[in-house]
Amino acid sequence: MLIALPDGSRKEITEECARIEDILKQLGINPEEVIVAKNGKIVSEEETAGCSDELKIVRFVHGG
Amino acid sequence: MLSDSEKKRYSRQIRLFGEDGQEKLKRTRVFIAGAGGLGSVISIYMAAAGFGKIRICDCDAVELSNLNRQILHANADVSRPKALSAYETLTGINPEIEVEAEVQTISEDNIDQLLLGSDLIMDAMDNFPVRYLLNRAALKRKIPLFHGAISGYQGQATTIIPGKTACLSCIFPRAPPAATFPALGSTCGIIGSIQVTEAVKYVTGTGKLLENRLLLWDGLNACLDEMACERNSVCRDCSE
Repeated sequence: MLIALPDGSRKEITEECARIEDILKQLGINPEEVIVAKNGKIVSEEETAGCSDELKIVRFVHGG
Repeated sequence: MLSDSEKKRYSRQIRLFGEDGQEKLKRTRVFIAGAGGLGSVISIYMAAAGFGKIRICDCDAVELSNLNRQILHANADVSRPKALSAYETLTGINPEIEVEAEVQTISEDNIDQLLLGSDLIMDAMDNFPVRYLLNRAALKRKIPLFHGAISGYQGQATTIIPGKTACLSCIFPRAPPAATFPALGSTCGIIGSIQVTEAVKYVTGTGKLLENRLLLWDGLNACLDEMACERNSVCRDCSE
């Protein structure tokens, strides 16, 4: 599974299938601060991702 | 009908969407939530473009630390209510439109009164709790909400059309932790301009809107990206 991290770097992990929430925990990322797209589409952290999926994790902002 | 003066003032954009489009802008009543960094850019461009009635709301007074980005306000406005400073700047830019300044904190108690008669909502807030309130109000009234947010070099925008697109709660089911954010005027410029462009397209019926797409601006790397989104069937705010 290829993961694009909030800092712009990329990481490959070999999980077969995992909950996105668990992947975030494994990466040390607070789920409250990010949104996650699986194959280009925003998904809930309760969804799972498999080895052929691409995840993009983005820190969203709240200022104005 | 547009006056001769209005035809002249808006002649460059009438080339884009015709006098008919300009008349639609003139008939549109806008609510701008916030007169800070995003609210400055949004309100100035909306006033200049000829949105006929602009109601701008902010409870704060201008501080010196606002002036790096909040271009509605000048040095002499420090300590004055932002909404009143906004009123003077906007009517100075375009005396042919109607501007209303509201020095109020947006809340459950006054949102109905603040949005009375508004055709669309511009999100220029600095926190998610009030954004969720605007989102629910937009859904209830079936009027669009043009979302934008910034922090430092980063920003995001999307266009929410009730009944058609994902709502704010579908995209961001929970608010990020509250924190003081770094702010750069030019980032407000980019995101606020995108929000106004969306509103112009919506009203004039031109182009393709940012519907079910979250646009992400990374100024540090000069990259624009987007993520697709869709309505959440169990969304707390928009699911039926």
